Amino acid sequence: MSLLRQLLHRNVGVRTLNNSVCRNKVRFLTTAAPEVTRETRRKKLIRVDKKEKYPVVSSDECFALLYTFKRTLELRYIQLHPAPGSTVRKSDEVARGQLKDFGKYVAECLPKYVQTVQITAGDEIEILITPEGVLPVLQFLKDHHSAQFSNLIDIAGMDVPSRPYRFEIIYNLLSLRFNSRIRVKTYTDELTPVESCNDIYKAANWYEREIWDMYGVFFSNHPDLRRILTDYGFEGHPFRKDFPLSGYVEVRYDDEKKRVVLEPLELAQEFRRFELSAPWEQFPNFRNAHPAAETVETEEKGKK
Amino acid sequence: MASSQSVKRVVKEVKPILSLDREEARQRVLNLYKAWHRQLSYIVKQYDIPKNQEQCRQKLREQFTKYDEIKDIRLIDMLVIKGQMELKEVVNMWKQKGHIMTYFKDTVEPKPQDFLSKFLSGKD
Amino acid sequence: MASFLLRTRTLSKSPLCIKWCSPSISTTAVRNTEPQIKNDIALLNPEEIEHKKKLQNYITVEGTTDISPITGIPEDYIKERRVRIYEPPKNCMQSGTNNIGNWEMEFDTKERWENPLMGWCSTGDPLSNMKVQFSSKEEAVEYCEKNGWQYFIQESKLDKKFKPKSYGVNFSWNKRTSFN
Repeated sequence: MSLLRQLLHRNVGVRTLNNSVCRNKVRFLTTAAPEVTRETRRKKLIRVDKKEKYPVVSSDECFALLYTFKRTLELRYIQLHPAPGSTVRKSDEVARGQLKDFGKYVAECLPKYVQTVQITAGDEIEILITPEGVLPVLQFLKDHHSAQFSNLIDIAGMDVPSRPYRFEIIYNLLSLRFNSRIRVKTYTDELTPVESCNDIYKAANWYEREIWDMYGVFFSNHPDLRRILTDYGFEGHPFRKDFPLSGYVEVRYDDEKKRVVLEPLELAQEFRRFELSAPWEQFPNFRNAHPAAETVETEEKGKK
Repeated sequence: MASSQSVKRVVKEVKPILSLDREEARQRVLNLYKAWHRQLSYIVKQYDIPKNQEQCRQKLREQFTKYDEIKDIRLIDMLVIKGQMELKEVVNMWKQKGHIMTYFKDTVEPKPQDFLSKFLSGKD
Repeated sequence: MASFLLRTRTLSKSPLCIKWCSPSISTTAVRNTEPQIKNDIALLNPEEIEHKKKLQNYITVEGTTDISPITGIPEDYIKERRVRIYEPPKNCMQSGTNNIGNWEMEFDTKERWENPLMGWCSTGDPLSNMKVQFSSKEEAVEYCEKNGWQYFIQESKLDKKFKPKSYGVNFSWNKRTSFN
């Protein structure tokens, strides 16, 4: 807006035609009449109104100012409203800054447990913690006055067999007070227990049972840890990457025995293995794109 | 190949699950075994399975001795936890007759053991 | 416990808030109810509390642990099967080389037969459709050892350096071919 004010100071008549601030055309009225070049006329950037009498400035100066003004408007417009058809969501810089500050604050308060703070997908904050820190960090986020993440939306699991600690446990929290979400991630393996956060969030009960059932991660001090989705007597944890799609057993009703029996699997038609990954690079333009997660510099890191 | 799969002698510091030492883990296993053992007569009656108590006892023993090679305390704890959960499913009658009979695998064809039967069945 | 500490701290930092907050409205500043005592700790005897504390520390375990008893994979599959660790080759039908260069593991083939009714390829092996990808062969080896599988590593034998060929190369500027 300061540019507009600058223009008005110079007594150049500038206004937008019926407030038409579009993405690719911002039209202005001006009286920079005598020296309007053919170039500007062709681009329809400057339209001349001869009836109104305004002081005349040189067209070069006017054009330069108008052009910068148009660009600023355009940029702001694009930032707030991406073009129709564009699938890339623009993140809000202000919110991003606030999230970064909050992440730094959490890392400062709990330096023993917080390993990394990162911003993913533009404006989502993630805190990566050690498995020992699940309870302190969640308690902090729930009860701290300027956090108040009092809702546990979900606990998710993830299996990456190539890592030494192959499972990731992901807590999604929501603060209704500040209309904000946060993601807390930790890691474990098949034999390392994770503290149950059931005392902090009552919602964690079934989520932790689900992760126990699907991934086989043991949650210590859980009040009622048992299977939730699989059949009684089922062996294995179906969401692990090394669990076959078909499972190991099949179930049928045996008419002689008058009951359901479990037998080793036999497939009448074997699953075919399709090679679905293309041998061609799909998005060469994005080869050097920004990484999905952006690490926030915390104070601990800065010292080192 | 197989020779490279040597056992490394490493001592690791790990987080315990339930037990702090081997003796405690052993005690947990014995307790679980006793609990199952006490439950056997009820299982035979309540689930109306075509097995007697002696056969069930044998099966129980087999299920436990299957894992007698295990040294890692955490692994023992994990198995105890799973066994405990299964016992609870049995006691509360969440399981059905079919689930109990799965332990006996009475409809599964036994795998051919000697050379000739392996050859005749076309499996090795 | 930590929540209680945090609350008392905020309270002590702002003593003013008690004066103008009526107790009926604010629930965080003033506690009307008795503080909750956790049953599970209050009912424990000293040894059990000691044990609970020790569970927070670490224990030592010797050697690498074979986790196969708790993975739920049937015993036969662990004892009898062998894992092949290999680098997937380039697709021979196309010259692109994306999505290769990683390592994979798969089990040896077993128990396939022709379906007598339809002539399909039938199988009794659930592991035939399982592939796990790794970024290096060391990761794959470690993973197999942890799971108690026998394995062997199949290195790819590529002596000749791959030379990409394409039709467009014939007309490149350094070929000096006339192409009008």
